[in-house]
Amino acid sequence: MRDVYVAGIGITTFTRLEFALSEIASYASMMALKDAGITEVDQVYVANMGAPRVNHQTALASAVVDSLSLTPAGAAAIENGPASGGSAIKAGFQAVASGMDDVVLVVGVERMREVNGLEATDFIATLTHPIAEYIYGVTLPAHAAMFTRLYMDKYGVTERHLAMVGVKNQNAALNNEWAHLQQEISLEGILDSPEAMTNNPYVAEPLRFFDACPVSDGGAAIILVSEEKAKELGRPMIKISGVGQATDTHAVHEREEPTDLLAVRKAAADAFEMAGLTPDDVDVAELHDAFTILEIAESEEVGFFPKGEGHLALERGDTALGGKIPINVGGGLKGRGHPVGATGVAQAWEIVTQLRGDGGDRQVEDASVGFTCNFGGFGNNVVCLTFEKEA
Amino acid sequence: MSVDLEKILRPIPAEMAPYEPKYMLLASGEAAVVRAVDRDEIPDLLKHVEPLLHVERDYYDVVAARVYAELLSHYQYRFQDQYVLAVQVDGELAAIVNGRQVTPNLGLSLHTLALRRGLRIGAHAFAAKMEYHFDQLGHDEVLIVAESPIGFRRWMIEYKLEKRFETPHELGGVPSWALTRELFDAARSSLVVGRRPVPPEILEKAKEAILPPSDPPTPALDPLSATRSKYDPTATALMVERWAMEGGMQDA
Amino acid sequence: MAREIYAYKCRLCDTMHYPFRMVCKNCKQNDFFEFDTVPLPRDGKLLTFTRVYNLPPQYEVPTLGLGIVELENGMRMLGQLDIDEPKAGMAVKGSVEVVREETYDDFYGMVFRSA
Repeated sequence: MRDVYVAGIGITTFTRLEFALSEIASYASMMALKDAGITEVDQVYVANMGAPRVNHQTALASAVVDSLSLTPAGAAAIENGPASGGSAIKAGFQAVASGMDDVVLVVGVERMREVNGLEATDFIATLTHPIAEYIYGVTLPAHAAMFTRLYMDKYGVTERHLAMVGVKNQNAALNNEWAHLQQEISLEGILDSPEAMTNNPYVAEPLRFFDACPVSDGGAAIILVSEEKAKELGRPMIKISGVGQATDTHAVHEREEPTDLLAVRKAAADAFEMAGLTPDDVDVAELHDAFTILEIAESEEVGFFPKGEGHLALERGDTALGGKIPINVGGGLKGRGHPVGATGVAQAWEIVTQLRGDGGDRQVEDASVGFTCNFGGFGNNVVCLTFEKEA
Repeated sequence: MSVDLEKILRPIPAEMAPYEPKYMLLASGEAAVVRAVDRDEIPDLLKHVEPLLHVERDYYDVVAARVYAELLSHYQYRFQDQYVLAVQVDGELAAIVNGRQVTPNLGLSLHTLALRRGLRIGAHAFAAKMEYHFDQLGHDEVLIVAESPIGFRRWMIEYKLEKRFETPHELGGVPSWALTRELFDAARSSLVVGRRPVPPEILEKAKEAILPPSDPPTPALDPLSATRSKYDPTATALMVERWAMEGGMQDA
Repeated sequence: MAREIYAYKCRLCDTMHYPFRMVCKNCKQNDFFEFDTVPLPRDGKLLTFTRVYNLPPQYEVPTLGLGIVELENGMRMLGQLDIDEPKAGMAVKGSVEVVREETYDDFYGMVFRSA
């Protein structure tokens, strides 16, 4: 298997974007191509969840590859729920590692604000089990809420811990010009003041408004290349050293221990094993905080902290910029926004930015090993990646 | 003979209890003041409403046009019993709400215009005017409609309004919905916030000047993109328009 | 006819599944439809729950109670809750009712009330 490097990255602002879907994908791709200094690729993978349903467009990859004048390169779209981005990176990785392709463009894109918030909620809910979950009106916030209540009862996580994650990530987004939310929040305003419960109403008890990521449009792209090509291009040598993917039961209630996220555990373990790393080696991590509870739970399952102690690490400041293992320093999904198909690629974008030392005000000092966890479904399809900087 | 036409055209105002200002902490931790706007402050509001006429999203254009007309006619004495409240954060204009008294028992909600988003300021402002109708003006019922889905969801989900479809609303003649005193009391504990009295220094700061909103809603890059994208899924027109705006193309 | 929600019992190893799956999770038997249907019990205890405020547009109610219930045979299922103040661990009883209405279809599922 050949080594695979990230030679270029690009992103659009995450917000409401009033451009066509393929145009958003193209903007991010053009930035990545320019960053890598290339105009031709062998293969394009487009990560996207909602084009057929939300944007009434199918065969998106054909549209994107032609819009970028990259024809006759191969092109395919990958739909894997919120883990589409990570899955597309994995496909790109396999293409380069196998020796089949030398240069692969991976672009994630979503335009969810084309429909209103309720329809977007329903569209995401279609990833749940059709008969055992969806027909009951289950939404992703509902799943996260039921998971949170179990976590609270079992491990002593409180609404304050959740709010702390929300404040940490939303305020971190202020250091990220591409992030959706550019509004500072405070614990007093969303938790402690007499107005807090009105400022921060329930979305699904016990989860509140500021516990959930916003609905965003946006695109992110990376260029994956072989070692030979990476040296030729002369960009910083950032290697994808580990790839892990795992699945779990479709219906959440079928899991033996409902507070475990076994797919996260296995995907992370596989990625670390492939890279020959341990969780302690990681300098900066991007976890999939679609809901605040997920950052806490994932920080345990990937091995940064013992099970049930993620919230204690949060209290100690371990997960903040300057802490032991800074998590979501670019705002995470909570602050950067969550265009579902783009998220997995945006996580890689943030890690590569960090490993290149281009993080500006959010730069983690001497970051040389990065980690991403892209969480699909409600934990039933997860992709974890490790990134390493080579001198 | 001289008939004073102004005397005929200008409505005779009814007695209305003044709005007692209040303040609340926002999610950001900043204090927001809700206070009644005097008639001579209306021009200060108008200049911040005008730019929103060109924001073609979330019905900001429609709402801003109507609010502009309401405020202007209030200023020119052509509106019966209108009140205007402003929400200010550190002097900065964050929202405008207005409404009017139809009869001593019936109120009518006009508009809620948020100039800063993401902190539920619009929700606080809407709750403040409902509180004014029921607690200070003593109305039994307030007639409401919404132009935007955001507003509609706010009162459908949060206040659970009743239908008054037999009564056309003064805003566009569409069927009315009503918030009754009973429904308001049910929603009060979770939706109505605010502390009184407002500390003098905070109130002074608000009254001193209505400062421009720091981050008002702005038009999309292409001012017609929302409309155009419905008819032009290829976005070609969008791109041509944008190039023209950027000065890269003539006669586009 | 009383409506039931069915569990699926593998004919080879007796493992029960809900919801339906094509291949047994335990013995991986790969003969088509080698399952017997068994009605799910109605009694159980509430494991976790939520009240959802942002619902898909098909719902005309402002909020909806949902929960995961551990049934008396040890299986779990998700259902709607018609309970004012749910508590984890409380005894509940299910009944099969319409849980979602689309334009031309009604979908039946379990609605739990306190037992």
